[in-house]
Amino acid sequence: MAPAGVASGNPAAPRRANEGAPAEEEKGNEFPRVILRNRLTALVVDGSRFCRMVEQGLLQAYGLETQAVDNGMAAVELIASGANFNLIVIDMLLPVLNGLETTRQIRAMGVRCKMLGVTAHFYEGERQAFLAAGVDEFIEKPLTPDILAPILRELDSQ
Amino acid sequence: MEVGQMQGRLVDYTKSLFMEGFLDGQFLQLQQLQDESNPDFVVEVVSLFFDDSEKLLNDLTMALDQKNVDFKKVDAHVHQLKGSSSSIGAQRVKNACIAFRNFCEEQNIEACLGCLQQVKQEYYLVKNKLETLFRLERQIVAAGGSIPLMEMGF
Repeated sequence: MAPAGVASGNPAAPRRANEGAPAEEEKGNEFPRVILRNRLTALVVDGSRFCRMVEQGLLQAYGLETQAVDNGMAAVELIASGANFNLIVIDMLLPVLNGLETTRQIRAMGVRCKMLGVTAHFYEGERQAFLAAGVDEFIEKPLTPDILAPILRELDSQ
Repeated sequence: MEVGQMQGRLVDYTKSLFMEGFLDGQFLQLQQLQDESNPDFVVEVVSLFFDDSEKLLNDLTMALDQKNVDFKKVDAHVHQLKGSSSSIGAQRVKNACIAFRNFCEEQNIEACLGCLQQVKQEYYLVKNKLETLFRLERQIVAAGGSIPLMEMGF
């Protein structure tokens, strides 16, 4: 099967399947579409700059405004300072304050937003612990559109 | 070589990386995050992956070289590497990490050392492949062409 969009003469090198198409066109045939009606914000909490970039990239592609911090304590402080988010994506393994304790402290502040716990490797015991600490869902990395799309639809409808 | 031929060569090369298991669907998803507002996303994210991974491989080498190996530390590093390799779509590196973690749990030093070799090998292979991929892309852009969008149905 030949790939689409094999056009020449475009030095900017975008990865568009059909250049010049209307803005509503899908970015690719694998990307579940979610057109947000509301302004949604997300916080990414991950010790790895690489993971922060990938997760923020995905959230931004869906139109969310994002912030990121690289440790648990920074996340707690940010929330304590009054920052509000619709979604928090939090790694279990974090420097300074681990993901479980960070989640507990955020919940203890009365924050009710959607929290998505992530980990590199899935152990059932860890999943139970993270859920008990207060995340709403727990997934193994990587965060993908298939996982994110239903969450975003749910948040957008609230 | 004209642009169409270069694009064909890029497509074939990319396909081979998927067929041989070096990359998986996650890499395609990352490519789809790249657009005019974020034109160098893939190259940037891959370069962060390289930096991250090389640091982790160094840390792992040191950790396994200790008189009394701290397997918790080793496991934490492998855990990180598994997370980043699966997030970039480096399938073979990810799989090598999974095997590695099993031996960490068993606290088997010899096996861990073997796994470390394996992970390093897979990492350097995929690094080489990705660098080649980017070089092919740069050649196309330099010749005035655009990068063909890879689709999943090949």
